Amino acid sequence: MRAMFRAQRSTSDSPSAGALSVLADEELMQLVYRGQAEAFEVIYDRHADAAFSLAYRMCGQRALAEDVVQEGFLSLWRSGAHYDRARGSVRSWVLGIVHNRAIDALRRRTVRDRGRVSGEGIEERVASPERIDVEVARRDEAREVRDALEQLPDEQSRVIELAFFGGLTHVQIASMLDTPVGTVKGRMRLGLAKMRMALGDPAEVCNEC
Amino acid sequence: MSVDEPGPHVDADGCGGNAAPYVLGALTEQESETFRRHVESCAVCREEVAALKLVADALPAAVPQLHASPELKRRVMSSVREDARLREAREVHEARETRRSARESARTARAESPLGRLLDGLRPRWQAGLAMGGVAAAAVAVAVVALGSSSGRAGTRVIDAQVLVAHARATLSVSGGHAELSVADMPQPGAGRVYEVWRERSGTPQPTDALFSVTTGGNATVSVPGGVSGVHEVLVTSEPQGGSRVPTRSPVIVARLS
Repeated sequence: MRAMFRAQRSTSDSPSAGALSVLADEELMQLVYRGQAEAFEVIYDRHADAAFSLAYRMCGQRALAEDVVQEGFLSLWRSGAHYDRARGSVRSWVLGIVHNRAIDALRRRTVRDRGRVSGEGIEERVASPERIDVEVARRDEAREVRDALEQLPDEQSRVIELAFFGGLTHVQIASMLDTPVGTVKGRMRLGLAKMRMALGDPAEVCNEC
Repeated sequence: MSVDEPGPHVDADGCGGNAAPYVLGALTEQESETFRRHVESCAVCREEVAALKLVADALPAAVPQLHASPELKRRVMSSVREDARLREAREVHEARETRRSARESARTARAESPLGRLLDGLRPRWQAGLAMGGVAAAAVAVAVVALGSSSGRAGTRVIDAQVLVAHARATLSVSGGHAELSVADMPQPGAGRVYEVWRERSGTPQPTDALFSVTTGGNATVSVPGGVSGVHEVLVTSEPQGGSRVPTRSPVIVARLS
């Protein structure tokens, strides 16, 4: 009887999956904070592919990338109260968590383990279950960001990629490139500033993503 | 100052010089923490970080987009649902405890008032009038009080499990008949294998549907399905993918409840 009561209460308290799917990420996070697994699942479905793509680009191995994404999402679920909408979109927050986890994982690995990339039959996705307009906006954004990165001088795009996707510290990059640390930092800053100009205001590029 | 303009704070050797490596994640943990504290008190660096972070936040869009596997979702959502179930059980338990405390407080207050003593004196006769009989009613009352006390004493019990793997650790948290097993520094169960949780009653391990692997850090948290009422031990063995109906290997974790 008690189990039945709980099931009924749970059903009446929780919006249906259809109702949840139309809520904005920020509204869903309020439900996640209250412990609603169904709301968390919608957040997961919206951002897991992007999180896995980032983790795989950084780690180069499916198993490690999946561990990173799992740790990131579980940490998000268990600390939903820490999301602050003033600091950006839920997507940026999710990807920031996954990025930090991937950096931790990369820095735990030995140099010998680094760079073992691909060969696991992972293919770039060709279809998406998301709304067409959202998907189109994301593809446009992806192209703009790739273009902005490619238009940078090599020495600037290289330090940005080694830092952001390679998980290397500025000191490691300086050592690897045999370049002073101050120069590496300057290239990072100049590269990011140029990308910012090329992208306009990135917040406008993907505010809904 | 904008990031588009040169100035003392954007010199690579000045305080602004760390804004770019900070937003790219290229500082060490200690350097990051030091810079984070600096940013709290430096408006120029705060503005620099905010501007550059918008670009860093956009960088993940540049990577080829892939599909996360259904197996990954199953792993994540399995942990999430177990967490949610434990949280709900804990809330039900706490609500019951709150109601019990409120009843006891009211009973104490009533017992201390002259009117309360009069009502309590009348209560056995009223209960007898409900065709239960005075003795039976007293027995029921005692049983209810005893159950409440037992539940109140239980709270959350944390049991250090015996782990037969070097350097690994495991604890079993028991609350209101529900139990959650947390492991740390455990090795992967091996290719094509998975860890399986068992409940041992009367000397017989009973399989559960709790199958898990561990993160690269060796961590995992899993609920013990069906709770631990009447269970003497919670065990973990390494089993072939999909789990087994009877253990095929010796336990690597043993948590004794009694």
